[in-house]
Amino acid sequence: MIHEFKFPDVGEGITEGELVEWLVKEGDSVRHDQALAKVETDKALIDIPSPQDGIILKLHVKAGSTIKVGQTLVTFGSKGDNILPQSQSPQEHDSVGVVGRLEVSDRIIPSPKPAVQASIPAQQMKILPAIRILAGERGIDIAKITPSGSQGQITKQDVLDAAAGKSQAIAQQPQPANPSGQQPEVKIQMKYDFYGPIEHVPIKGVRKAIAKKMEESWRNAVPVTHMDEVDVTSLVNIREKEKEKAAKKNIKLTYLPFIMKAAIEALKEHPYLNSSKEEDEIILKKYYNIGIAVETEDGLIVPVIKGADRKSILALANEIQEIAEKTKERKIDLADLQGGAFTITNIGSIGGVFATPIINYPECAILGLGKMQERPAFEGSKLVKKMILPLFITFDHRIADGAEAARFMNKVKESLQDPDWLLLEL
Amino acid sequence: MPPLNMVQAINQALQQEMQVDDSVIVLGEDVGVDGGVFRVTDGLLAEFGPARVIDTPIAESGIVGSSIGMAIAGLKPVAEIQFEGFSYPALDQLISHASRMRSRSRGRFHVPLVIRMPHGGRVNALEHHSESPETHFVHTPGLKCVIPSTPYDAKGLLLAAIRDPDPVIFLEPKKLYRLFRQEVPEGPYTIPLGKASVVHEGEDITIIAYGSLVHDALQAAESLSEKYKVEVIDLRSLSPLDKDTILKSVIKTGRCIVVHEAPKTLGMASEIIAILNEHALYDLQAPVARLTGYDTIVPLPKLEKYYQPSQQKIMAKIHEVMQQ
Repeated sequence: MIHEFKFPDVGEGITEGELVEWLVKEGDSVRHDQALAKVETDKALIDIPSPQDGIILKLHVKAGSTIKVGQTLVTFGSKGDNILPQSQSPQEHDSVGVVGRLEVSDRIIPSPKPAVQASIPAQQMKILPAIRILAGERGIDIAKITPSGSQGQITKQDVLDAAAGKSQAIAQQPQPANPSGQQPEVKIQMKYDFYGPIEHVPIKGVRKAIAKKMEESWRNAVPVTHMDEVDVTSLVNIREKEKEKAAKKNIKLTYLPFIMKAAIEALKEHPYLNSSKEEDEIILKKYYNIGIAVETEDGLIVPVIKGADRKSILALANEIQEIAEKTKERKIDLADLQGGAFTITNIGSIGGVFATPIINYPECAILGLGKMQERPAFEGSKLVKKMILPLFITFDHRIADGAEAARFMNKVKESLQDPDWLLLEL
Repeated sequence: MPPLNMVQAINQALQQEMQVDDSVIVLGEDVGVDGGVFRVTDGLLAEFGPARVIDTPIAESGIVGSSIGMAIAGLKPVAEIQFEGFSYPALDQLISHASRMRSRSRGRFHVPLVIRMPHGGRVNALEHHSESPETHFVHTPGLKCVIPSTPYDAKGLLLAAIRDPDPVIFLEPKKLYRLFRQEVPEGPYTIPLGKASVVHEGEDITIIAYGSLVHDALQAAESLSEKYKVEVIDLRSLSPLDKDTILKSVIKTGRCIVVHEAPKTLGMASEIIAILNEHALYDLQAPVARLTGYDTIVPLPKLEKYYQPSQQKIMAKIHEVMQQ
């Protein structure tokens, strides 16, 4: 019984080794477990034990050569066995060519047997792809068409005829015919799931754009939110004093233009928050185009006030009012939605102290306003009433660090706490 | 009878035909004393002597040119071109003379000539030694071109080629020379030129291959056997092409991938896809795909696996076509 012994997988991820020395020679009788050879792997020098009793018919590798796991090392046999009788086996030599490496093996492949092709019917419907699509568009089941083509195929006319027959059939039915001849797309939507009634709302339009934009921001930016509170008592007083006058000019004076101004003065000192990241570069914006988040029936839209640093507070108030109205009515120009470098969101107008806004990507930062509230505060040892505005900024940590955001916020606070000074800076 | 590898099967075919037909002559570079660079002609010089086993100069145009002369004069030369990439100097002799002598002489002369050459790559050899030039031969009217994928087919096709009255290019997939053995009948037998073989039956998709890639296609078919029933056709004969076997299979399966090592443009796949377009378009369930080498020179060994089709690439392509 001839048996080939291959270099076994000795474990520990070893795939090859050097056959240092044969401990047996061809013709030797060996016993099970007797050491056959010494093999050095990158882990150790090991003895390879014989897997069986038998006679060594052939040693397949020379001492000193590299062997791979799975490579045949020894052919075993019993008394009287020969590997391949010399009289029958054509003598074989290695190639003399120096080009290429031919894999050599004694693997036997099966002999050819006469192929009997099973008789399977040809695929049922013969039809050109374009005509198959036409049939689909007309809602024709091609399996019901009798082909008239020379090769047994369904022709375009077959489909058109079937469609004509179909529309007649539809016309005879009481329900209105589909004018385009197209089959409405049938999509089954369950009104219940396992737990109760549900409704399917397709994501489209502004919602779809928001979803895409937010995903993009979340995937790319590394957002951090920094939060603070500002004493805006003086600012409230100024606004209370001046809002009537502004109203006479048809301007609704809100806090937003003041905050926008304060933010711009802070951005001038911290330019990395007025920037965007593009591949290996940070693009610092030398202009101050400030986006404002506007809620519409369809979802959030961010129109942009261009050149906000060059506009007066009244002009800004006027423009914010106009642009927000246009946005709510969905009459805003595309140009007014583009070119932003920094965004302000006033969630506090609805409610809430702090939030963590998502960056309006690819901008670096977004400033959020919480709800302004009266709070008791100490002035020296005296308890006084203060107007407190919560502020928070989310910034892209790839571009700027927390320290910069904190200093930016300090500067905004400084301006808003002392609006007279802000006035001097403008 | 011991199983033979492809080198031994070809050697046996040459030896047996030389024994029964004195007009069979073997010639080429190193075919005599050295027994051929791959040892295919080993032992022939000793048995048949230098008049019938001729070591030639390194001049392929001369080898083929003198073979044409011998063939016209009544001998049956079997010329060896050492590597397929060395056949190009002989293309003029093949295209301008061997292929058209019958036509040119209005049937007075014919050229019973066999040109043997190794074929294909995937053995880490450099450009001329890894090429697949079959398109040149298949595109030349008057030449036949065959390529076995097993020792059994190699012997049967070579004997048929030697006995054919016209020039036959006999391509030998060098990767398969010693890759495996097979039981081969001891006596002579022929496999008709122009007959493909269905080597694996299936109903879902047809893989058409030849040469060494037949085995990759078979392995792919076996690996995917639980998912798809893959039919594999070994073309064996590239010219004439067995259209009947191809059409019968593709009309049955409706899906087809043609695989070859040769560059993509105007490779065998181009012709087969055209034939399917002419005769089986209405039976197709998916566009016929091809998996081929690239339109570049065979790269250096490091990149060869990226250039050549393989079992894995065939499996991926089967998935792709079955999705359509």
